[in-house]
Amino acid sequence: MILTLLTHQWKSELRSSVFKKSLVLNIILGLLILYFGSIFLFLGFYLDDILLKVFPGQDVVAVFNGGLLYYFLIDLFFRFLLQEMPVLAVQPYLHLPVRKSKLVHYLLLKSIPSFFNLLPFLLIVPFMVSAVVPAHGQSMAVVWLLALVAITLLNNYLLLYFKRQMSTKPLYTLAFGLTIALLMLLDYIGVLQLQVVSKAIFGAMLQQPWLLAVPMLLLVGAYTLNYGFLKGHTYPEELKVHKTAAVTGANIAFLNRFGEIGKLIELELKLIWRHKRTKSIITMSVFFLFYGLIFYNKGTYLDGFGFLIFVGIILSGMPMFNYGQFLPGWQSAHFDGLLTQRISPYQFYRAKYWMVVPVILLAYVLTLPYGFFGYKIILINTATLLYNIGVNVFVIFFFSVYNKDRLDLSKGSAFNWQGVGASKFVMILPAMVLPILIYLPFGLLGVPYAGIAAIGGLGLLGVIFKKQLLQFSANRFLEHKYKLAAGYRQSA
Amino acid sequence: MLTINNLQKVYNGTTVVNVPALNIAAGESVGLVGNNGAGKTTLFRMILDLIRPSKGEVLSMDANVMQSDDWKVYTGSYLDEGFLIDYLTTEEYFKFIGDLHGLTDGDITERLLPFMDLFNDEILNQRKYIRDYSKGNQKKIGVAAAALSNPELLILDEPFANLDPSSQIRLKNLLKNLRENNGMTMLISSHDLSHVIDVCERIIILEKGQVVQDMRTTENTLRELETYFTV
Repeated sequence: MILTLLTHQWKSELRSSVFKKSLVLNIILGLLILYFGSIFLFLGFYLDDILLKVFPGQDVVAVFNGGLLYYFLIDLFFRFLLQEMPVLAVQPYLHLPVRKSKLVHYLLLKSIPSFFNLLPFLLIVPFMVSAVVPAHGQSMAVVWLLALVAITLLNNYLLLYFKRQMSTKPLYTLAFGLTIALLMLLDYIGVLQLQVVSKAIFGAMLQQPWLLAVPMLLLVGAYTLNYGFLKGHTYPEELKVHKTAAVTGANIAFLNRFGEIGKLIELELKLIWRHKRTKSIITMSVFFLFYGLIFYNKGTYLDGFGFLIFVGIILSGMPMFNYGQFLPGWQSAHFDGLLTQRISPYQFYRAKYWMVVPVILLAYVLTLPYGFFGYKIILINTATLLYNIGVNVFVIFFFSVYNKDRLDLSKGSAFNWQGVGASKFVMILPAMVLPILIYLPFGLLGVPYAGIAAIGGLGLLGVIFKKQLLQFSANRFLEHKYKLAAGYRQSA
Repeated sequence: MLTINNLQKVYNGTTVVNVPALNIAAGESVGLVGNNGAGKTTLFRMILDLIRPSKGEVLSMDANVMQSDDWKVYTGSYLDEGFLIDYLTTEEYFKFIGDLHGLTDGDITERLLPFMDLFNDEILNQRKYIRDYSKGNQKKIGVAAAALSNPELLILDEPFANLDPSSQIRLKNLLKNLRENNGMTMLISSHDLSHVIDVCERIIILEKGQVVQDMRTTENTLRELETYFTV
């Protein structure tokens, strides 16, 4: 029975619109998986050499063991942020003659084949083969590996449990989070040395194989904990993370002054505020404001221009790219309604323009302090700001008519491929590569600042011809609206 | 009011809608009946310019709906939940629709008065988003929003489906009133034969995309329809 359920799950993944629709996307995804997979494999095989170089004279396996506890704690943190809860999958089976216990086992087993559980073993298994087996023998190495598998799954189930408790008993989750933070803090101030503890734990595992029972028992415990909880709560309304939401976000009176445009902007701001996926895009965009730190505090990047232009485009433009790449798919659920209302496509796009531009300006202002790394940064960021509001906005509008996929806004945005199509990758060319190409001839001629001015100038041109460009976007929209509406009507 | 000329929609070689000619006069209320897959919704979508016809045209007040947006001013419509902005509260949604038609808050309250019976105290002042309402209540919201602007043409797709019996009767009376008092032209599809005959003075039967019968409502209509649909 559980096997049948798992094949259903497999089919639902295979037949999901994301995989079926775009060949190009599948190829790119495949290449990415291959790329990261081979990096991890490669790292795994050479990890012993690398560790030997960094920590000469120490036992490689011991060094690796020392890091494991940190890894598992960080793993918990990322799982907390990103791991999805497989929940509603049981809904269609609840009224059928399938025993509840089977459904719960299915729900719990289903969480195992995930990115978080598989990826680390691409690194750990090769390392085991190249380092642990020669030093401790095959059987010990297998025990060691099993212990790591058990702890990975323990993390998996611990997190599922605490994340599920979050909505009903947030204190549990908070206490859990604080415990982990406390461990990290104690390690940082030197009271507790996680590295030593970690070395001791996993080192002991290699000496005393019966210790494997400890992580195994813990895993069984965590599984039972989840099982017990789910068994008592197999009702969709109790399992659902989403509860009937209280109304938030009042009317924004200030926007009323701008008439119809203001109305449309208000509508879209409420959309952003009241959905999970859009909200997580905002959070992500805030993180991108710190993107500059990666590049600006390295002298090598500061000498050139190309990289700085790229960073400039991203700093002020990332919120727009994150949100705009799916336009107008955010409104897919009520697209028919919008089309039958008195909203002209020109106004529709003008509202989007005036919603995006203040955000770009805000991102620009917030990243102005990067100017401390050099006045050059301010110059470049101003030019890229102009390019973003004069050119890139319209690039996004141009590609918006290809976004035919309905979006489910109640899902988070991390690892969410819904709505991602080939056009997203093509869009990068004019949005991020073109400004660098514009700069290039000037840079080669030795007049880099003229190149920066050219980028800004092109942006300025876009701002001047805003009206025509908006009209152009609106006309394209008119041409493609039937295709969009038909796509949005197909449930995702 | 509405003129359909040689309208066709073909999907992968199958003709879903094929209406050579259809005229709907101002003030007329037309009921569209037909089994699932007869093409009712597709026809509505072409009238509302949501689907590009394979052939032919829809003229609303002599203007092609594909070329001019004027029809949006005097047409109210509700086909399915895709017309609702489901993350708004009901009040916010009515306000948004009202604003598009230049209605004040007072206008909106006044226009909603006839709907109070239908709403049955379950729609307004609920402090929740439209997506959290039941299907039946969502339908009530959609129908009310469609009628809010007091449109000259009202298009509804199966307005009686998902409603409880009392609400069906209330909605029926409401639609009759709208027709009699405001002279609204109506185009309503329904699977409920008796309701649609009550509201509409003209019944069109659609089968496999074709108009197979087009008749005035008389006391015999219900029997005729029942005979037709008895297979």
